[in-house]
Amino acid sequence: MFDINEFILKKAKELGFGDVVVLGYETNRRQVRFANNEITVAKNWHERKVELFVELEKRVAGTSITELSEENIERTLKTLLANMKGMAPKEDYYGIAEGPFEYKDIPETFDRAIVELDEPNEYVETAINAALEEGAKRVAGVLYTDHDRIYLTTSNGVEAFDEGTGIEISVRAFVGDLESGHGTNSVRVLKKFDPESAGRKAGEIAKMAQNPEQGPEGRFDVIFDPLAFANLLSYMSFMTSAYAAEAGFSFLVNKLGQKVASELVTIKDIGNLPNGYGSRKFDDEGVPTRETTIIEKGTFKTFLLNTSLARKYGTETTANAGLIMPHAWNIVLEPGDYSKAELFSEVKRGIYITNVWYTRFQNYVAGDFSTIPRDGIFLVENGELRPIRNIRVSDNFQRILEGIKALGNESHHIHWWEVSTPVSTPYVLVESVGITRATK
Amino acid sequence: MDVLEFAVEKALELGASYAEARFEEKNGTSLAMKNGNPEGLQVLADRGMGIRVLVDGGMGFASTNVLTRESVGEAVKKAVKLARAASKVRNEPIRFSEEDFHRVSYKVKMKKDFRDVSPEEKLELLKKIEEEVKATGVNVPMRYLMYSDQLWKKEILTSEGAYVKSKIPRVSVTYNLVVFENGQMEQAPFVQRAFSGGLELIERDEPWKWAVKDVQALKRLIYEGKRPPEGKIDLVISPEVAGIAVHESVGHPYEADRIFGREAAQAGESFVKPDMLGERIGSEVVTVIDDPTIPNSWGFYLYDDEGVKARPRYLIREGIITEFLTNREYAHKLGQRSNASARAINYNREPIVRMANTYLAPGDYSFEELIEDVKLGVYMVSFNEWNIDDRRYQQRYIGREAYLIENGELKHPVRRPILEITTRALWSSVDAVGKEVEFYPGTCGKGEPGQGVPVWMGGAHARLRDIPLRRP
Repeated sequence: MFDINEFILKKAKELGFGDVVVLGYETNRRQVRFANNEITVAKNWHERKVELFVELEKRVAGTSITELSEENIERTLKTLLANMKGMAPKEDYYGIAEGPFEYKDIPETFDRAIVELDEPNEYVETAINAALEEGAKRVAGVLYTDHDRIYLTTSNGVEAFDEGTGIEISVRAFVGDLESGHGTNSVRVLKKFDPESAGRKAGEIAKMAQNPEQGPEGRFDVIFDPLAFANLLSYMSFMTSAYAAEAGFSFLVNKLGQKVASELVTIKDIGNLPNGYGSRKFDDEGVPTRETTIIEKGTFKTFLLNTSLARKYGTETTANAGLIMPHAWNIVLEPGDYSKAELFSEVKRGIYITNVWYTRFQNYVAGDFSTIPRDGIFLVENGELRPIRNIRVSDNFQRILEGIKALGNESHHIHWWEVSTPVSTPYVLVESVGITRATK
Repeated sequence: MDVLEFAVEKALELGASYAEARFEEKNGTSLAMKNGNPEGLQVLADRGMGIRVLVDGGMGFASTNVLTRESVGEAVKKAVKLARAASKVRNEPIRFSEEDFHRVSYKVKMKKDFRDVSPEEKLELLKKIEEEVKATGVNVPMRYLMYSDQLWKKEILTSEGAYVKSKIPRVSVTYNLVVFENGQMEQAPFVQRAFSGGLELIERDEPWKWAVKDVQALKRLIYEGKRPPEGKIDLVISPEVAGIAVHESVGHPYEADRIFGREAAQAGESFVKPDMLGERIGSEVVTVIDDPTIPNSWGFYLYDDEGVKARPRYLIREGIITEFLTNREYAHKLGQRSNASARAINYNREPIVRMANTYLAPGDYSFEELIEDVKLGVYMVSFNEWNIDDRRYQQRYIGREAYLIENGELKHPVRRPILEITTRALWSSVDAVGKEVEFYPGTCGKGEPGQGVPVWMGGAHARLRDIPLRRP
């Protein structure tokens, strides 16, 4: 597709645009959805498109081009130009990165075996059967295979290519109406794919969750399963974008250099994480992706930036472009030194939450939110687990981070419907978490 | 049309028992302004085709944005192959309900066509919000404003004779405003005004007035807001709060695909079971309707994405569960006809069971009558945080703008009153409903990959007696 990119760049420059970014995609994605132990639908997407960003005297615009004929490309560029001429400039626009750059291969991000995989239904059956063997009655979920090629050309000397694959499964298992469990597995190379473990975990939790009692309310020490804590960190990943902070969607506003979490907490964005579901060699302006420490031992170190926002704040890009909106690639909460058993033995009376969904904020800048535990929830008392139901986590984001008092020693990479930015996290123990429930 | 016919015929030739081809084209612009700075223009031009088939009772879907015969033919082949493979991992074949189909064409007219309006004139709408908010004198240090318009063109052809062509324009303005006064901060996030139709609808709606009302209410909340009462009180909810409550606790749990577990791994299941039709769920004054056919509504359509003609759906009539939202697959399971709830957000998504415009039907009380005999209560006007469990039973809504009601009169603002309640308790507690209906737009999330569809939510004011109200 580089010939198309080159053509777009040449025409854009002829028309007088300044900064130009052309990001071409060729994607092949397959999906198998299942519910009630059977496949409900199987899908295939094949797409070729170009995402285009142009700048004209500090006026910026973007579009996707899916019809890639020369005629349509020229028409699109002329439409953009005509629309931009009368627009007010974006006064805080400071340009894109100067290339060219050198890129390194990221281990375990491409596997020809996934490209050549004819039929993934056997993996679905493996996951369903594993959950049923653990005692589940109904199993639902989704499997994806991905094959992406990315072609980047910019007016600042970048020409970059990346090719990646992935396979992932998300499994939810039910014993009755109120008893369920969830497991996921997301990898970039086929030999690491383990649909059985996802099914088995979903089935195990569903079985353990049988005959739940109404849960309590108040403040409790809570162990968050990696699946549950990944949800919260996925929301936080958006809040670490400088764009979100400027727009009033972040509790991290005005907190650079301040302590925002327990000293145990180090959170990174790793764009070049081996086998990471969000890993890519370069960001949208061609800067090689890298590791950026967002929170180091509890102290907030940096927002995620592109070149323009970095220049605005007198610093360096963190290689997280999005040209308008910087975003995280793979959020990583560094593990601690507790085994899972040690973590549970720390809790005299608390709650183990295996999954959450529907995280919503009362106030983004203050960080007040609630989220609903879903699937198995357990009262933890002196090492014993008793299933409960119908509770809600109602607290403040910074307080949760400050309340972290122990971290498991194994990291789990989570990516599913509720966690769109991939997150690697261990089991997390947070003290004194607000728990509420409906009283009528 | 030719390529749609080609796709359907090819699918049948390859062994499909049912085939549906859907062409969609979306064109539009969006503009954002952040703290007074224009953030740039986004031009949307997207089109493509989706093909859904049944083969041996399995369902397959494929899409392409290359609209040549060769590429469409490949997509059809893939859909058929996937459906055939899927049929082998099924306990019972998928079947569709019998329906009457039409060959129709319809469109929503624009009095002021947004295609004829320059981006700078559209940006003026956002500037007007900036200016009006600034003119209030309220300190609003973070202001994120967005304008968006899209013209949706769609053509659907099915192997059972449905052909529906439609053209629906959609316009919206969204804002996030953070008020900082007296060392305190309050926020009105993701407030949207949105319609199907031309730019005149936004101009007539005057979104800047909504923004001004919001920042003034938040400032008053900061200076005059007190803790809300706690314990059993009466609660009057506005059309906006009634709207989110009917959407979350009536619309969603009545989606038949959820009831039968198809969405279990993502959007969840439902406390409602098929045998609950005819069961009482609320008081006699509660009637909830979902109606796609409301003119200029954000969730507007006249035919769904399976080609079935739309009509108002009475989900609750006088407190009784009367109807689920269905597509053809689940109508067949229920032994019914589809009520045209199949929607897809784009050509590359499958149609699934969705809401359109869900509302609490009006009663016969004026607002004054609703509050006049409330001794101690709260009037919740708008909300921020809300959520509900995945069976749609345990929910919570936290008030943004809210006031104390004392001896039949509205008093000072109250901070963050929390309604945390079960669905059955909520709708059983309603003893009176107001006369006037208002609607509020939203984007309803469901499906995987996600399909955010435009919906309106709303209704009349409602009074809930003896509610266990909480406070932070």
